[in-house]
Amino acid sequence: MAATATTPPSQVTHPRAAAFTVEARGIERRIGLLFAITGLALVLVMGVLGLVMRLTQATVIGLSPGWFYRLLTLHGAGMITGVLLVTMGALWYVLHPTVPLRPGRMLASYVLIVAGALGVVIATLVGGFGAGWTFLPPLPFYPAGQWSTWSESVFFVGNLLVGVGFFVYCLDVLEQTTTRYGGLVRTLGWQFLRGREQEAPPPQAIAATVVAIDGLLSSAVASAILTGLLGRTYDHTAAFDALVAKNLVYFFGHSMANLSIYLAAAAVYVLIPRYAGRPYETTKVFVAGWAGSLIFIATAYSHHIYMDFVQPTWAQIGSEIASYGALIPVAVVTIYSMTMLVWGSRYRWTLASTLLYVGLAGWAIGGVGAVIDSLIPINFRLHNTTWVVAHFHTYLILSVVLWCFAFLAHLLERNADRTTSRAGRAWTITLILVGGYGLTGTWFLEGVLGVPRRYAVQPPGTSGYSLAGSIFALVLALGFLSLCLQLLPLARAAWERRHYTLVEHTDSWTGTRYQARITRGAEEPRPLETPTSAGVPLANPGQLALGAAGCVVGLSAFFPQVIDASEASIRYHHLDHAGHFFVGVMLGLLLGSLPVISRRLGERPTLGLTAVIAAPTVMMLVMVPRFYEPLERNTFEHALFHLAMATFGLATGLGATRLGRITGRLAAFLAVSMAVMFAAAMK
Amino acid sequence: MSVHYGDPQIAIGVVFAVLALVLAVAFLVIGVQAGSEASDERVHRVGYWLRKRWLALLLVIGVLVVGISLFDLPYASGGPSGRTVVKVTGGQFFWSLAPDRVPVGTRIRFDVTSIDVNHGFGLYDPRGHLIGSVQAMPGYHNKLDLSLNQAGVYRIRCLELCGLNHSTMQSTFTVTRP
Repeated sequence: MAATATTPPSQVTHPRAAAFTVEARGIERRIGLLFAITGLALVLVMGVLGLVMRLTQATVIGLSPGWFYRLLTLHGAGMITGVLLVTMGALWYVLHPTVPLRPGRMLASYVLIVAGALGVVIATLVGGFGAGWTFLPPLPFYPAGQWSTWSESVFFVGNLLVGVGFFVYCLDVLEQTTTRYGGLVRTLGWQFLRGREQEAPPPQAIAATVVAIDGLLSSAVASAILTGLLGRTYDHTAAFDALVAKNLVYFFGHSMANLSIYLAAAAVYVLIPRYAGRPYETTKVFVAGWAGSLIFIATAYSHHIYMDFVQPTWAQIGSEIASYGALIPVAVVTIYSMTMLVWGSRYRWTLASTLLYVGLAGWAIGGVGAVIDSLIPINFRLHNTTWVVAHFHTYLILSVVLWCFAFLAHLLERNADRTTSRAGRAWTITLILVGGYGLTGTWFLEGVLGVPRRYAVQPPGTSGYSLAGSIFALVLALGFLSLCLQLLPLARAAWERRHYTLVEHTDSWTGTRYQARITRGAEEPRPLETPTSAGVPLANPGQLALGAAGCVVGLSAFFPQVIDASEASIRYHHLDHAGHFFVGVMLGLLLGSLPVISRRLGERPTLGLTAVIAAPTVMMLVMVPRFYEPLERNTFEHALFHLAMATFGLATGLGATRLGRITGRLAAFLAVSMAVMFAAAMK
Repeated sequence: MSVHYGDPQIAIGVVFAVLALVLAVAFLVIGVQAGSEASDERVHRVGYWLRKRWLALLLVIGVLVVGISLFDLPYASGGPSGRTVVKVTGGQFFWSLAPDRVPVGTRIRFDVTSIDVNHGFGLYDPRGHLIGSVQAMPGYHNKLDLSLNQAGVYRIRCLELCGLNHSTMQSTFTVTRP
């Protein structure tokens, strides 16, 4: 009996793609699938909730306003979390072959985000929380009988966990990309841009680094405001500055939603070339574009605050410029370059590649709606109308969610080595496009008519639009159902092909040849590289001296005169606490970076990560008047409290030194920033 | 809820519809062309040539639209200078306006605030057309200058999620004939 394994060429990707495609390893496939399936399950359930809300607005079903706002809150938070999970998995899948990310960190991130999502589900469905996923302070504390106090806490903790999970992910991405490519400037391709180097990191690594930096910023902002809100649940004397709080909420809310698109884009850079048969390589325009995105992602958020006229006008105009500026890299680099890759390429039309391509159009069309609304005089007439709902649903449903499905389809197609039928694909895509653009079209139209968003009960005479929208939403649901039905046989084929292999078998008695399947053995074609941490934040005598100078300057926060002066307001008082925390952070950085101490501490990245997350969080949680005011009556206890602030800082600083040179510095900077933002948001 | 000839929202909707259609056609054409074969060299040559123009076009449009927008900012500045100040206060779930009626053509400064959470002061003219909006924020006063030249009953709707009865938080403001 003779048996030989047959390995036919890939039937799904472009023949030329084999030259530049790195085969995924088991770890990449498994983590990719875990994130994709969990995230898409969440997206589909949240989509059903969206349909229920639209049917309520159409008066087809009679959901009470209380339940409408519970579902609205859950729908928003759940959708953002769902797409974030999938796109995180997609980026990890395309980045891991070249950058050795830590699977442990990825799984920790997964557990934190799923636990956080569960908290949001409980807070909304059981606790009745319905302040919207943007929960603009102080609305969470004015429930009007709709939700209980515990649900506020659970909602904030849930969001905090999601933020921490994303922080863990971004920190690992940043640490490993900057270690792999030799520093932040090199990793972002700026040395290449300046002509000092001939090569730059691949597009997905540059995009991942930008996303990680902006992701860390928004996670830190989320921690500051959410911890403040959590403190308010057990200290009712704490109050928020509505404008500062709004800036913080939208900074992280807008950025998180935005980052899910950019995470997906980084994966698209790798996936579309596989179907177009043309590699996508880093160019100077690409590097410049992503340098712009690094700034614009973090600054465009305040177009949500255009109608808060007390926001300084220079900030409003800056935001308008940033909002338009964000369009340039997307339109000139990402979308344009991808269409260049596709043009005349004998593109392989499969389920995944079709979804990838159609998603480009969704981003472009939704983006136009967004840019129009980002002009201040137009926003004056469209702010918080359904136009806003229309444009972000266009690029979320018809771009990011399609890319999420494309990622799962790509994994399954690659493993099954086949795609779905052409007719099935055509029906699915048609249903999704008709349903999707029809649904968002009704919102655009209502936006022009001035219909407000987030209305449980639509203004008189407008429920017809909701009914039309509901019908389109049903068509869209059919499209996604059809998509799932196409993925199921692919999944089965992929599973069988992964576990069995076809062999040519010749019967030694009769000489008859036939195919049989045998169980595949374990395969791990490429060895896994071990992730490492590089260096300490203060790496040379000059930097150590700078750290020491920071410590000395920060000590002024302990002067009795400064402490007395800070009693003028809660904000200044908290700022003084932030000063004590800063001293501790600088001292921790200084001590942990000293070679003799660093050697004794050893490599403890997990302990370091835990310290930079837990210490600032606890520091902010105890920084509420109810906790510290009783201590202020006794000088010794008062001094101890200030010392505790510095000790939290010390733990943060020492922890940061275990995270590498760049990530350690950034983590320390963000921790101090959180304390300052926390102080600014309270009054 | 309505729009009428001359309302800015009509122009906004038309511009968006045209741009969306152009993009849809472009993606359709590129999608069809994806099945053909063009050399990488030709795609690069034509593509990069076109990309420079595309970038220049977007920059020119950006400078133009952002520049023009700066002449029509809704932000009031300085004192009311002869305007009638209308104190607007939002609360769960009501609007209070003082005064709540003015003669037609009056130059008004809406001084908008909130006693509890964030609300959105959305002003609709007697035909149901959204004139514009400004946020009502606790602890802050946002000032909006307008001249209402059409007599009738204007409606105010809340445009920021403020809780259970957000969608029914309404009031009216009357502009009387001389």
